[in-house]
Amino acid sequence: MIRRPRPWLQKGIPMASVSAGAPRSRRRDHPLWFLVPALAVLVVFFFVPTLFNFVYAFTDWSSFKSAINFAGTDNFVSLFSNGTLLNSLKVTLVYAVLVALFQNLFGLGLALLLERDTAVNRAVRVAFFIPVVMSALAVGYIFQALLKPDGALNGIIGWFTGSEVTIPWLGSTTWTIVVVAVVHAWKWMGLSMLIYLAGLKTIDEDVLEAARLDGASRWTMFRSIRFPLLAPAVTFNVATALLGSMNGFDIVQATTEGGPGGTTELLNIFIFRTFGQGLFAQATTMSLVLFLMVAILAFPVIRYLRKREDVL
Amino acid sequence: MKNRFRTALALAAAGAVTLAGCSDPGAGDTATGPADWPAQDADLSGTTLTIWAAQNSNTVPDSVIAGFEDLTGAEVEVVTIPDPYEQGVQTKVATGDKPDLAFWQPTASQLTALNASQNLQSLDGAPWLDAYDPELRDITGILDDTRYAALITTPAVEGVYYNKEVFAANGITDLPTDWASFLQTARDLKAAGTTPFYEMGADRWATQWWVQVQLADAAEDGLWDRVNAGEEAFTDPTIQGAIDQYKALIDEGLFNEDIKTATFEDQGAALLAGDAAMVMQVNSFFGQLQSLADTDELNQKIGFFPISPTGTTGTFIPDQSNALVAFKTGDEQQESASRQLLSYWLGDGYGDFVNAQSTVSLQTGVETPADVPEALLTVADSVGTSVGSMQALAIANPDLYIYLADMIQGTKTPAEVAEATQAQFAELAKAQGAEGF
Repeated sequence: MIRRPRPWLQKGIPMASVSAGAPRSRRRDHPLWFLVPALAVLVVFFFVPTLFNFVYAFTDWSSFKSAINFAGTDNFVSLFSNGTLLNSLKVTLVYAVLVALFQNLFGLGLALLLERDTAVNRAVRVAFFIPVVMSALAVGYIFQALLKPDGALNGIIGWFTGSEVTIPWLGSTTWTIVVVAVVHAWKWMGLSMLIYLAGLKTIDEDVLEAARLDGASRWTMFRSIRFPLLAPAVTFNVATALLGSMNGFDIVQATTEGGPGGTTELLNIFIFRTFGQGLFAQATTMSLVLFLMVAILAFPVIRYLRKREDVL
Repeated sequence: MKNRFRTALALAAAGAVTLAGCSDPGAGDTATGPADWPAQDADLSGTTLTIWAAQNSNTVPDSVIAGFEDLTGAEVEVVTIPDPYEQGVQTKVATGDKPDLAFWQPTASQLTALNASQNLQSLDGAPWLDAYDPELRDITGILDDTRYAALITTPAVEGVYYNKEVFAANGITDLPTDWASFLQTARDLKAAGTTPFYEMGADRWATQWWVQVQLADAAEDGLWDRVNAGEEAFTDPTIQGAIDQYKALIDEGLFNEDIKTATFEDQGAALLAGDAAMVMQVNSFFGQLQSLADTDELNQKIGFFPISPTGTTGTFIPDQSNALVAFKTGDEQQESASRQLLSYWLGDGYGDFVNAQSTVSLQTGVETPADVPEALLTVADSVGTSVGSMQALAIANPDLYIYLADMIQGTKTPAEVAEATQAQFAELAKAQGAEGF
């Protein structure tokens, strides 16, 4: 198959690289010291904190003492011997997988529904994108109110069924994590939709027309042509949803605070709790563990997803 | 060129590391001189004092500030630190940001969390101490024999708020006198078809009161000293027994059916409506009731009694709105002005303060205003003879309430609750450098 351009993966290619004699003129137009302000910000606010994240994990920094002493792997040993960390890691993974699943299902569904460029579709796309720019905490608190036993959702269900409904949506030790993942996916589905829409736009009309002439049904066309050709968009959406939700905090904090019974206690909520206790070094160690987990997970996932793009 | 770029990157990184330094920016100097106490009306023109307060305490100082500014010419600014207040303050102080004064829970664990000996001014020998009701003077605010916090209102007491009308309708005329009669009352109510207790499993934080009141006798007997020294653990029979008992009472059906999903708001509404007869709570619960009913209705409907295993000893738990601490800022003038504000607050300004707040007075020379509800007066009466809670006496404050809420949800057994609490307590104690951990 012909390799198609993938504009969203190739952004930022400067025009200069295309013109002749590029290296010389490029160097004159963009002297290296122009980088300094941005680099300084990056170093101070990103590299150094990350570096300290590694350093402090091996100390006994806490709010109780002024001195910071080297503590070896003490923090790691006590954290891993304590079941809470492993439980939080497990919850975080389950949550991330659920969010990635829901967010992509919703996003893809919306993109397919709103694919045609009609005036109505454009307005509806904007409506579905609004949650993306909303404050995650606000979204969380609103859903917390909606999902209460005496909240609006039960009210609506009760109106349809004609009986009083008091389902505690955020009170189940089994299903609450699914509900919270759906809320997270709801907030971010507009972004996935946008990227899938962009992906759908790049599919060559000729290919689709050929398929139609061959008598392919809509489902066959989606399964055998459109979905495989959406691979780069899937890569981006799955990777950002999966890895982004591993860093999740705000929505879960606003809806359940890690409850009921610790079944939605993401690692970040555990870190927040530990930091609040004044155990700064332990909290740092946990964030290092989270960083490592995201990194370890990122490579195989992204490699697998990129491999799917070979069909292009 | 590539090498030059690398060099620049390395230099920038090295520079930033040097700038950031590798020490705790929250560290202050330790020198403590004998504090002098300026007169309450000494001139402070040009001085600005900052008080950190939480969302529920930021209007508490209003009357005091107005009076103090008129008297001294100082300017006092209240900065609201968003909830969770304690975590916010600790984080700020850890990064070197300090106010002149702050509302703070005057307990050993919370003073330790703020690294009191480093960061706070000693209030030993303060001029207002003799004005306190003698029973309340040394009840809290002291860490390692140094006074760091000034108590301004009566500390909260863990005990039982009950609906008088429900008790009367069920023929209960005598209030329980110990744990056994307390449970008997509950069982009688259940037999009569009334829900005896109401607990808020979803909001979690009140779950720990049930365990703590059962430890009142042991606390009097030095339980928390032994726990602090690592000689006794949460998993040992005393505390484990209290957790087991709480679980057994829930299993017995003495609590509301929706215990897993009930919230703080539900709890207040339920007691007021008589849907349940009793609630184990602290003063902030009464604040919630005050937002639902006026003083007359509350006086008519709601009563309070403390309870302990062998009697009616209360368990007190001061919170952030009960006290203030003064920070060592390194500026002698500011520090002295902070002490002067406290002197005024608990001195000439105290009468206005208790009237403006409609709160119970801590001082023998200042009358409690007449509009304080009866239940709060009962609470205040019980403070003098009450014993300290875990928060007041233990060196660390583990998340017992979260683990107990997990137990209510069914994800932890009572034994696991004790284990998790002990593990966290040991972690905190070790970080503090406590002996025995």
